[in-house]
Amino acid sequence: MTTGRPIEDSSQSVARFAGRNAGYYQRVFARIHGAASFQPSFNAAAALFGPLWAAARGLWGSFWAMAVAELYALVMLGRGLYGDLGAQARLQAVKLETAADARAADAASALQVGDAATAETFSRIAANLHTAAEQALAQAQLAAASAPRLVVTGLVLWLVVRLVAGFVANPLYARRYVAWRTRPTLGAGFDWGRLGLALLLLLLLYPPTVYRFTATTVPAVLVHVPAAGALAGTLAGWIDAGFAGLYANGAGFFDGMRDVIRFVVHALETVLVSTPWMVTMTVFVVGAWHAAGRRVALLTGGAVAYIAIIGLWDLSMQTVALVVTAAAGCIALGLPLGIWCGRSPRAFRLVRPVLDLMQTMPAMVYLIPAIAFLGTGTPPGVMATLCFGLPPMVRLTALGIQQVPPGVCEAARAYGASDWQLLYGVELPLARPSILAGVSQTLLMCLSMVVVAALVGAQGLGSVVLESLQYAASGRGILAGVAILLCAVVIDRVVQGLFAGKNA
Amino acid sequence: MTEQPVIELEGVWKIHGPNGAAAMADARAGATKADILQRHGAVLGIADASFAVMRGEVFCIMGLSGSGKSTLLRHINRLMEPTAGRIRVLGQEVLALDSRSLRRLRAERVGMVFQHMALLPHRTVRDNVAYPLEVRGEALSRRWAVSSEKLQLVGLSGYEERFPHELSGGMQQRVGLARALASDPEVLLMDEPFSSLDPLIRRDLQDQFVALSRQLGKTTLFVTHDMEEAIRIGSRVAIMKDGRVVQVGTPAEIVTQPVDDYVRSFVQGIARDRLVAELERTP
Repeated sequence: MTTGRPIEDSSQSVARFAGRNAGYYQRVFARIHGAASFQPSFNAAAALFGPLWAAARGLWGSFWAMAVAELYALVMLGRGLYGDLGAQARLQAVKLETAADARAADAASALQVGDAATAETFSRIAANLHTAAEQALAQAQLAAASAPRLVVTGLVLWLVVRLVAGFVANPLYARRYVAWRTRPTLGAGFDWGRLGLALLLLLLLYPPTVYRFTATTVPAVLVHVPAAGALAGTLAGWIDAGFAGLYANGAGFFDGMRDVIRFVVHALETVLVSTPWMVTMTVFVVGAWHAAGRRVALLTGGAVAYIAIIGLWDLSMQTVALVVTAAAGCIALGLPLGIWCGRSPRAFRLVRPVLDLMQTMPAMVYLIPAIAFLGTGTPPGVMATLCFGLPPMVRLTALGIQQVPPGVCEAARAYGASDWQLLYGVELPLARPSILAGVSQTLLMCLSMVVVAALVGAQGLGSVVLESLQYAASGRGILAGVAILLCAVVIDRVVQGLFAGKNA
Repeated sequence: MTEQPVIELEGVWKIHGPNGAAAMADARAGATKADILQRHGAVLGIADASFAVMRGEVFCIMGLSGSGKSTLLRHINRLMEPTAGRIRVLGQEVLALDSRSLRRLRAERVGMVFQHMALLPHRTVRDNVAYPLEVRGEALSRRWAVSSEKLQLVGLSGYEERFPHELSGGMQQRVGLARALASDPEVLLMDEPFSSLDPLIRRDLQDQFVALSRQLGKTTLFVTHDMEEAIRIGSRVAIMKDGRVVQVGTPAEIVTQPVDDYVRSFVQGIARDRLVAELERTP
């Protein structure tokens, strides 16, 4: 008894899968699954009912493919049978003919006055227009004559769709059966509900489309989306009011934030700009040497020399102050947030959509609330830059923490490590490469924002680029752009060198 | 002198997943692992485990993968919380300890060795061995002294400055053992320490371990899926199946009087003469 079981089982499950008309599918599937090569078969129901069959059997992908192909055929058929194909060209011809008549009348009146030259000109124009009108008419007739060809093409296409449906139905359905074996939640059998839904969809799709392309004059509803312009105005008004209310209630908070940002940026600027330039430059080059070695030090020296010689030193230092403030904010916020997300999957699920939003949102959009709450100048620029640079820090920190082998954490716990000891002694050191990659990414994102931040009046290299855009001073703009690029390259290399040096 | 149990388990249960209370009630009523998974979507990890380990014993827990032996081991130092039951280690109720006392217990009195070594990859061998002392807040000179002493004990003198990834698997596991010994714990927990090593090195380390454990007299709970290993090194063996302890006894008792077919199937796999030789060697 047991020897015959698997085959019997499989055939039973096909019956359970197919439901209606099970016998047919048992035979067909047995043939398809019994052979290694392709087995041609024709499913009459699929050919007869097309997309409706596919939907009733739960093959929604096939339903859509068939529905769209069939719709294309139907549009052709409709235009061939009922459409006024030459309508547009004929309309054009009538228009041209009217114009020709008008010019001819002009010519006649000119002749009456005795102005032969003007009459000559007018009658030549009239003749030209007349020829054009005749050509348009000929075109209209040609288009009208193509109607039978359209009808035949549409009909043939429709037949081809149904034939193909008939031939591919069984292999597709057999494949769905195999998928259903491992995922029984996939719909099986013949379902009247799905059939009804498909019918509804087709009613929604076919008539308006065919009508739109067949009729000469179409109601506006079919062509233009009805937009509620007033609603958009109301919503925008609400958002305005919301911003205003928020600012009014939190004025102290926002002003405080603005002052803190301004103070930090200003302090950094003072240090970077007021310190004699040779001191700052030396610190940069030697710092790069310590962090990343001789080659990066040379690169830094070159970049610093370029910026100094071009005369962008002060502006560059302003940019560095802005970027460092924003990036420090990103790290200060992003590191703890990233650690939290790395430790708690639930927190990460909560934070992830917000990060996606922050990364997808065009950078300029950050400027809107930043201006609303912080006014213009450097503070909103820093704030917008901070929003833009935060996501990679959080993401890469979380990734680094998640990648710490759980066994190592368990071992640390087994030797009595407290939460803090685990974090400082195990998790952070092991997540270091990822966290440093996050810092580097964040810095680069912040640098890429300096031009956008300049839009709200943040000082620095960005404002030079912006000015050159406004006054089409491309040379100066490109020089400033190169300075930004050099800053980015130096920062990236220094951070990478920092990481490689400590790891070697 | 009456013998004092060092580790004592009484009716320990562990249920992973949702509906702990309902699943627990069902399990107490005698439902099997499969029943509980089907009815509650919960996994029965350990069912009613009770045994006592005496001072100086090497107590082996043997079972196939998924039988709950590693889970059980992690309850001794409370890396996992049981659903029900009592656990006493060195006279302390482990489940009643606050987090500070628990960390003290782990850092000072219970050492652990892991199947996949679980060394800290960013630290030298020396600092890995000294980790339990560092957690405890010992001074550097003492950490390094102890570390050198323990590395000598496992035969790894001269490797102090190396990093774990520079060592072979067998050497890494000896570092793991040295780390477990660093704080001179009274109890050693060994979670399949030799099973990821190749057979020759495994044999070698087993011999070293047996010699070391006689020399140091630590109370050891040793988890393994290898019956031969259990018989070679265990003074007593507990056999687990589907979360239940089905038999506890000396190797000789297990081999000569298996309680059921499951235990018998393990014993049968061992060559009889080899076994006799092993048993004669065991005092």
